[in-house]
Amino acid sequence: MRTAAIIPAFNEADALPGVLAGLARQNPDHDIVVVDDGSTDSTAIVARAAGATCLRLPFNLGIGGALRLGFRYAVEQGYDRAYQFDADGQHDASQVEALLAGLDDADMVIGSRFMGVRDYRVGRSRGMAMGLLRRLVRLICGQAFTDTSSGFRAFQRPVLELFAIEYPVEYMESVEALVLAVRRGFTVREVPVVMHDRAGGRASNRSLRLAYHFVRLLIVLVAGGTSRGRRTAS
Amino acid sequence: MTGQTHALLAGLTVVAVVVIVRLVRRQVLKAKYTVLWLTVGLVLAVTASVPTLLDRAADRLGIWYQPTLFMLLAIGFLMLLAMHFSYELSRMEKRIRALAEEVALLRGPEDEDRRAPS
Repeated sequence: MRTAAIIPAFNEADALPGVLAGLARQNPDHDIVVVDDGSTDSTAIVARAAGATCLRLPFNLGIGGALRLGFRYAVEQGYDRAYQFDADGQHDASQVEALLAGLDDADMVIGSRFMGVRDYRVGRSRGMAMGLLRRLVRLICGQAFTDTSSGFRAFQRPVLELFAIEYPVEYMESVEALVLAVRRGFTVREVPVVMHDRAGGRASNRSLRLAYHFVRLLIVLVAGGTSRGRRTAS
Repeated sequence: MTGQTHALLAGLTVVAVVVIVRLVRRQVLKAKYTVLWLTVGLVLAVTASVPTLLDRAADRLGIWYQPTLFMLLAIGFLMLLAMHFSYELSRMEKRIRALAEEVALLRGPEDEDRRAPS
């Protein structure tokens, strides 16, 4: 069983060495693929120095675009499964095993902060927005998810094949991706995980931008734009 | 339509047609946009040279202030055009994304970083 860790990274040269070392220590048999999303710092150099495979995008595509490239690479290289891991140190390498264990009876597994034992603090408006999203997703999927915006996720190959071709590219893409997978008939489940507060870097929570993307996401979800009217393959 | 509005329309038409013809002659527009803008120029030229045409059409449609018809048509046309451009832009963005991915894959995992480390 070949497993790839996909790490989208945009200007994460500072946090990346620690993250990669942690992953390699916990899971030495996983291949690490860093997708350098048009960084202007030494992200790619740092990643390669740590022994990771690094794909460099010519310019910044955003998290969704970087992920899609990672999925595509994993599919082309024949990986059986892959998981997404944050470059900024928010995810804990010791939780990967639990995440992958979830794949035994699911096509896609989401590591949830809110099923976990530890408290995870988010702001009030952010919490309210997330709550509304949760309810909408439950309505669409017919299944409840506690952490729809989690970026700590694992995928079986069939899901990778889907996401390599069509993965939502806009901000907050994880919710759209979840709905897309469920709509295509994949089994998605959550496992509780512990996450760190962000080590470095800024949480993207500028409120206007967030509000815009929130509304956009609601429209996309309600319109069912992620599953209908698109070609599956070309 | 009054004499002034007619003169204004005629003046704008001359400017528009000149710009369109120049662009077309320098071949900076794709063929389909050439056809589109030449058509626009033609329509403008006809309405300007036959001023009663628009007035009669407006009367027929029961529009009291005739230039409104012109505005209506212009806005409708521009809306359609803007929608078309949105569509084209979305499609191009999709393709550029796909190209960027392709570039990253072609570069491969081993390529040198030509930027100086900061």
